[in-house]
Amino acid sequence: MDKVKLTGLILGIAGFSIPLIITFPGLSFAGHLALSIFLMAAVFWMFETIPIYSTSILVILLEVMLLSAEGFIQFGGSYSPVPYSQFVATLANPIIILFLGGFVLADAAVKYDFDKNMTRILLRPFGSRPAMIMLGLMAVTAFLSAFMSNTATTAMMVTVVIPILAKMEVSDPARVSIALSIPFAANIGGVATPIGTPPNAVVIAALNQNGLSVEFGSWMLYAAPLALVMLVFTWILLLKLHPPAVQQVPLELKGTWQTSGKAWILYIMFGTTVLLWVTESIHGIQSGMVALIPVAVLTLTQTFEKEDIRNLPWEVLWLIAGGISLGIAMKETGLAEWIVGSIGWENMSYLLLLAVFAVVSVLMSNFLSNTVTASLLIPLGITLATSGVVGGPAATLIIGLIIALSTSFAMVLPISTPPNAIAVSTGVVKTKDMIVSGSIIGLVAIGLIILMASFYWPLIV
Amino acid sequence: MKTKIYILVVEDEPEVLDSIVRDITEFEEQFVVEMADTAEEAEELIDSIITEEKGLIGLILCDHVLPGKNGVELLVEMQNREETRPTRKVLITGQAGLEETVKAVNEADLKHYIAKPWEKNELVSITKKLLTDFVIERVDDPLPYMKVLDSERIAESLRTGRKLTDR
Repeated sequence: MDKVKLTGLILGIAGFSIPLIITFPGLSFAGHLALSIFLMAAVFWMFETIPIYSTSILVILLEVMLLSAEGFIQFGGSYSPVPYSQFVATLANPIIILFLGGFVLADAAVKYDFDKNMTRILLRPFGSRPAMIMLGLMAVTAFLSAFMSNTATTAMMVTVVIPILAKMEVSDPARVSIALSIPFAANIGGVATPIGTPPNAVVIAALNQNGLSVEFGSWMLYAAPLALVMLVFTWILLLKLHPPAVQQVPLELKGTWQTSGKAWILYIMFGTTVLLWVTESIHGIQSGMVALIPVAVLTLTQTFEKEDIRNLPWEVLWLIAGGISLGIAMKETGLAEWIVGSIGWENMSYLLLLAVFAVVSVLMSNFLSNTVTASLLIPLGITLATSGVVGGPAATLIIGLIIALSTSFAMVLPISTPPNAIAVSTGVVKTKDMIVSGSIIGLVAIGLIILMASFYWPLIV
Repeated sequence: MKTKIYILVVEDEPEVLDSIVRDITEFEEQFVVEMADTAEEAEELIDSIITEEKGLIGLILCDHVLPGKNGVELLVEMQNREETRPTRKVLITGQAGLEETVKAVNEADLKHYIAKPWEKNELVSITKKLLTDFVIERVDDPLPYMKVLDSERIAESLRTGRKLTDR
């Protein structure tokens, strides 16, 4: 075990112990236990003493043991413990089922090369000028990563881009701008839909628990314009920072559509599911319910087989579920309210408060997992809004959106997101280049998110 | 700490050993190159890499004619040992007969036969291909190896495998 992990282990145990030893005024006994779990999880997530999904699993276990009605501890009047089924049910939360559907579609798309062939077709109209090719690559990456994982999309696009980069002069700055454009576009594309990236799930689940249902299409209405503007901005920024030297970029994309019956089933399911998701407001079938259609159809037709089911990224679902259930514990035990109450928000204006959440989200998720950042901040943000510290019926939703969207605009370092790590690993991009453009993108995104929170979202909510 | 991956070069003629090692310098950025001039010395090295350094042996480039035990025997032994079974095995030789070569293919899962004299490009591309195979098959986080190895294939393995996910 290295020093960082060991430090994390010691701090984590210390964090867990503090609320058991010291009594904080105004916080219930159950709140103390929840604080123990919260501190330990925060430390383990930060130091990655254990894998982040293991921390999530541990959170659920501790909640079941310490905070549930069936658990080891008898509570007095201050806290009526929730049944343990509520903590474990987070694993089948509608948003988790929505993600499951997304995962199955995405993995099936990879299995039948749907992602690569879509890329080939979609890139065709963009010609061969480097600036246009970059725009094409970014648009396709963002579009795919809105429905698939950002990481898988980046990996796929890197296989497309490497042969192109190999044919260009090593000194051409366009190599850098193209190699940076892929992870950035993938990170940005993730915000556009609820299933684009895991932090969206944590936030939507928390909003649902507070009686705010967020439709697939409404989320896109809130977030897709941001993705679009930031995509164009990033494109211009990268062209300015690393202007291409060549006039033409060789773009040869080989590949053929698979035409087997199963491949066709996938194409049709992919199209149908996405269509049903974005038209939820017309037919009224919830996106989580729709998500079961591809899961059922693809498995019953053997398009998606047992081996494929086993290969799904199950740990991501555990990670999200842990975040959701931590939020439940913090809300139910009164811990979230207690933390919010102990900070002097009154001195802050509404706008400043939104800005604080946006900045903290971006800062934290540059160093931590985006999902973890959202999991740690959302219980506080939502409580702040529901307890009336900040006003307005839309405040809950707006703070949720700010947290979810800001975490995805952390792309300064290779460790900020897996797509960034992939881009730097190719050796084409230097960390320095990523820091410069990533910081500018982060700052502009924060500004734009606050603008949207002030003028755009209140209009359409 | 990241597990180190070793490249083992076994060759009894010092000039030839030097020239092999020189040709594969570009891999030293991520891999550790170790040299031995006999099969017996190679065995000791393998022992110490596995037991003391807790490393993996990704590739062995091995001459056939060696003083003492010959190259094919060494490769067969490695194939029979659990820790070195996944090691990609290559013979670089001028003098291995058909019978011994067949034995290396059948019993040591020989991945490639390089005849002396070799071209640098040939040696580098085979090394790159075999190490890429090894890393994709054996390493949980292949990202650090992307730059020196076949990055397109490693990216493809990330697309189809599940080694890296959103987080």
